[in-house]
Amino acid sequence: MNRAWLLARRRILSSIPVLLIVVIGTFFLLEMASGDAVDAYLVTLGGDAGLAQSLRERYGLDQSALARLWLYAGSLARLDLGFSVAFNRPILDLILERLPNTLWLMGSAIAMAFTFGTLFGIVAGARPGSAADRALSIGSLALYAVPSFWLGLVLSLVFAVQLRWFPTAGIETIASGKTGFARALDIARHLVLPVSALGFIYLALFLRMMRAGMAEVWRQDFVLAARAKGLARRRIVLRHVARNALLPLVTMLGLQAATMLGGSVVIESVFAIPGFGRLAHEAVAARDAPLLMGIIVVSAVLVIVVNLLVDLAYAWLDPRVGSGEASS
Amino acid sequence: MRRFALRFLRSPEGMVGLVLLACLVAMALLAPFVFPRDPLSIVGRPLIAPFTDASLPLGTDRLGRDVLAGLMHGARASLLVGVFAALVAVAVGTVVGTVAGFAGGLIDEALMRVVDAFQVVPAFLLALAFVSVTGPSLPVIVFAVALGAWTGPARLARAEVLSIRERDYVAAARAIGMHPAEIAFKEVLPNALPPVLALVSVIVASAVLIEAALSFLNLGDPNIVTWGSMIAEGRNVLRTAPFLSIVPGFGLVLTVLGVYLFGEGLVEAMAHRRGRQ
Amino acid sequence: MSSFLISRRSLLQGAASALVLQGALLSALPSLAHAEDAPRGGRLIVAADSEPRNLNPAIVASNGVFFIASKVIEPLAEAALDGEGALAPRLATSWEGSEDGLSITFKLREGVTWHDGKPFTSADVAFSAMEVWKPLQNLGRIVFANLDAVETPDDHTAVFRFSAPTPIQLIRNALPVVTSVLPKHLYEGTEIANNPANSALVGTGPFKFAEYKPGEYYRLTRNDAYWGEGQPKLDEIIFRILPDRAAAASALEAGEIQLAAFSQVPLVDLERISKVPGLKVVTEGYEALTYQLVVEINHRNEILADLKVRQAIAHAIDKNFVVDTVFLGFAEAATGPVPQNAPEFYNPETPEYAFDIDKANALLDEAGHPRGADGTRFALRLLPAPFFSETRQFGDYLRQALAEIGIDVQIVANDTPAHLKAVYTDHDFDIAVGSPVFRGDPAISTTILVQSGIADGVPFSNQGGYANAELDAIIAEAAETVDTEARTALYNDFQRIVAEDLPLINVAEWGFTTVASTRVVNVGNNPRWAVSNWADTGLTP
Repeated sequence: MNRAWLLARRRILSSIPVLLIVVIGTFFLLEMASGDAVDAYLVTLGGDAGLAQSLRERYGLDQSALARLWLYAGSLARLDLGFSVAFNRPILDLILERLPNTLWLMGSAIAMAFTFGTLFGIVAGARPGSAADRALSIGSLALYAVPSFWLGLVLSLVFAVQLRWFPTAGIETIASGKTGFARALDIARHLVLPVSALGFIYLALFLRMMRAGMAEVWRQDFVLAARAKGLARRRIVLRHVARNALLPLVTMLGLQAATMLGGSVVIESVFAIPGFGRLAHEAVAARDAPLLMGIIVVSAVLVIVVNLLVDLAYAWLDPRVGSGEASS
Repeated sequence: MRRFALRFLRSPEGMVGLVLLACLVAMALLAPFVFPRDPLSIVGRPLIAPFTDASLPLGTDRLGRDVLAGLMHGARASLLVGVFAALVAVAVGTVVGTVAGFAGGLIDEALMRVVDAFQVVPAFLLALAFVSVTGPSLPVIVFAVALGAWTGPARLARAEVLSIRERDYVAAARAIGMHPAEIAFKEVLPNALPPVLALVSVIVASAVLIEAALSFLNLGDPNIVTWGSMIAEGRNVLRTAPFLSIVPGFGLVLTVLGVYLFGEGLVEAMAHRRGRQ
Repeated sequence: MSSFLISRRSLLQGAASALVLQGALLSALPSLAHAEDAPRGGRLIVAADSEPRNLNPAIVASNGVFFIASKVIEPLAEAALDGEGALAPRLATSWEGSEDGLSITFKLREGVTWHDGKPFTSADVAFSAMEVWKPLQNLGRIVFANLDAVETPDDHTAVFRFSAPTPIQLIRNALPVVTSVLPKHLYEGTEIANNPANSALVGTGPFKFAEYKPGEYYRLTRNDAYWGEGQPKLDEIIFRILPDRAAAASALEAGEIQLAAFSQVPLVDLERISKVPGLKVVTEGYEALTYQLVVEINHRNEILADLKVRQAIAHAIDKNFVVDTVFLGFAEAATGPVPQNAPEFYNPETPEYAFDIDKANALLDEAGHPRGADGTRFALRLLPAPFFSETRQFGDYLRQALAEIGIDVQIVANDTPAHLKAVYTDHDFDIAVGSPVFRGDPAISTTILVQSGIADGVPFSNQGGYANAELDAIIAEAAETVDTEARTALYNDFQRIVAEDLPLINVAEWGFTTVASTRVVNVGNNPRWAVSNWADTGLTP
């Protein structure tokens, strides 16, 4: 436990400068943008030059970029994410409202991809070159190459519109008044299609890694020894080969956290899920710099936390990894 | 090198990948000769179904543009985006990684924090923000994709450099008084490159997909055809004219597949080579 | 396919001609017939594609806001297919302007209460006019610029006093859009722009604001105390937020929603969806919400400052192709700056620019721009507005159309804020595709597109550096001409000059379409239906 704590502390300390770079980078990225939050807002109403000017003054957009960055950094240091011009609400509220939806989506997608990916990976890797292996390899390659938005559209067309097994969009039945278990079931039903669209590519990835990993492990001495000892094939596969091939997958899990968060942008728009990715898209479209910074900072924290957890899990799975060099 | 090529050609993945990629490259290179006109020009009635008109074998889209011309010219754009994004990412990444690994100390620390910063921000989010902020054009899209992809090569290059740094020939170079920068780029970098190159296939594939996703969100370059923009156009008529998005969709899948298989073959061939060392 | 197009088009034309004849023919057109008797009760779920930042229609007079807010907050009068000045009374029962144009008297409806139970009086109207419409509202700032005071001799009379003659025609045409009345007792003494009632609306309308779940839906419930007899019909309206363009059609087909307005179902999907049992396509209900497809021109560009070049561009555009292909027939070719379905103002006698490539080429030769060795004469940067897929698609078409006459067009794609900044503040464009709305009177929406002397940064205005003293004089005179006939005559001249001098090129005008379940009755029965109060809309079991 002590070792874990050391690792965690080291990670948290080193993530402070990282977050600082992220904040400043995001700020200047949006500073490069043509048009500001007032331009984005004016498109809905027209209005005269006086209106634009008074709006800019009200939102503090008439100040210099550095002044605004300084103000923002100051409030961030007090853990205040600021106020969204585009939504007219505190940013923290917005993020806390949207984050759970995305966490559900990503969490389920990762769980699905990891479970089925390793499972099929084991099936494929247990007998390299077998018919099952070939079918799974080809299938996973095809999945790997299909753009997720396209998959989402087709899934929704087939399973929601034509077969009507699942709802077309949303995170739950609107204004249904459901609670407890009924609500959980309702949300699960809504998540099936978006989770598939988002998760299949990772399923393919995990499957391929698992298979490749197992192929590697098969050749190693201790497996040869186990086979020489005459252990049952099933036992070798599960106890020795699969277990050792699993380690790199855990690392991959951490690496893919950020990618998946990015993938959710598109999936959330296709399935109209009010999540984090869609909020990011809206923030960019509305030129809401503080909101986008808030989103990116929170997603960065999220990724850092996931990676920390992965490292801890790795340290726990593989005692050879010390507290010394796990970060780079 | 010849052995390497032979080994590559012997792996079935590599072969299939190579054939797929060769077809794509041929398509891309032939496009301007087969269809010298702007593929965006309007040549017929809108929404002609495929295989119904001999002069327009794959039919036309919503505005009456030739789908086959778009497909061939689109191969060009998609491959360009993929290849250039990978080039930029690998170039920047390797340089940063090599510098960090070789310099060590504070410079290493600072550079790696920057790498971390780019790695914790979702690449697609970064590309999305960058493209909508600077306005979509092909170079911007290439750069945006590279922005999220250079950290992989940087980390790999640094790790390779760290392990190579202490090897004999580097020590020898240092002993004969070569400048550290000279050692870094003449001796260390070329040796650190092969594993980095293996990453290229992944980057190319993801670049093609990111470009498509950006087009899907209306963030593609409107002056050229890409498969992504064809899918994005076609998805509006997904129900009435599904072929409009299925045709370029297949192109996309085959490209990603080709690149991926090619990369796999490369890695395999390389693994054998490195195993011998 | 083509038979479908023709039938839809003739329907549109039918709607337009019905407006010309007003009244007499209406009863003959069953689809435009007045309120059927709708059954009571039911929950109507409607697709919405955006969540306005400020939902207060008295401050933000825009269709995105009205779509939701018009059911809760009412104007003094609503547009109608017949009635005096094509208006239906809402919170006002009558209005009369003085001869000198310096005052207008409104008689207000009695026995109306706010959703919180307080009575509605003339004080609410006076407060809304002086504290909100005139100083804060995007359009009210123009319409009520000369409003001096609002007198309230009794609880149900409001007299608007103007410092300069103000045409009653303009006020009448503006009533549905600019006069959403707010409850004084909730706004007085607060910072109006940040009042919580801007999102949790309180009004007098047929529906009360019940709930907003960001990113998911708005819920409105029946106002049992509504003044309209037997209204509203529905128990509940839910605006479900579906940002993706394919989502509305899918949700309709899956029966998850019953209505999608403002062409949320893409035009290309309409032919297919009109054949889906249980769904209907309605093209009525947008007659007073006409959008115009225009080519905006930067006259600072020396090439474009030449009238011959602008004429050549006008001749190079095949308006019928645009109508048939980009709009799939759900639009009409434009002839000038005022749309054909504004019969009060429309002037059909303006110069026309037939699709004629040879003539366009000849004009460019004449203007001194011969084709170079590569066949091009000069290059232009085109900025298509990203607001509609049709504006973007027309941009793609325009690039090809101009290539035919040797103009090399580079499309610069921007997202919304960048487009606004580039065109209306930085003037960083040669030609742009725009989509202004015609709001019932040229003075509210149209003159601003050609008038000179407008400050930089005013969106949807003349930012192309165009200046024409004759036009400016007509616009100024019309603004103070009280006599309706004389004012209309001035706008006739205005249209002729704009079509002659081409400060911008009007290409097409379009309304939207609604797709609804056949269970929904009374869809599209007034010219601003999508943004009206839906008090008579019902749902059959």
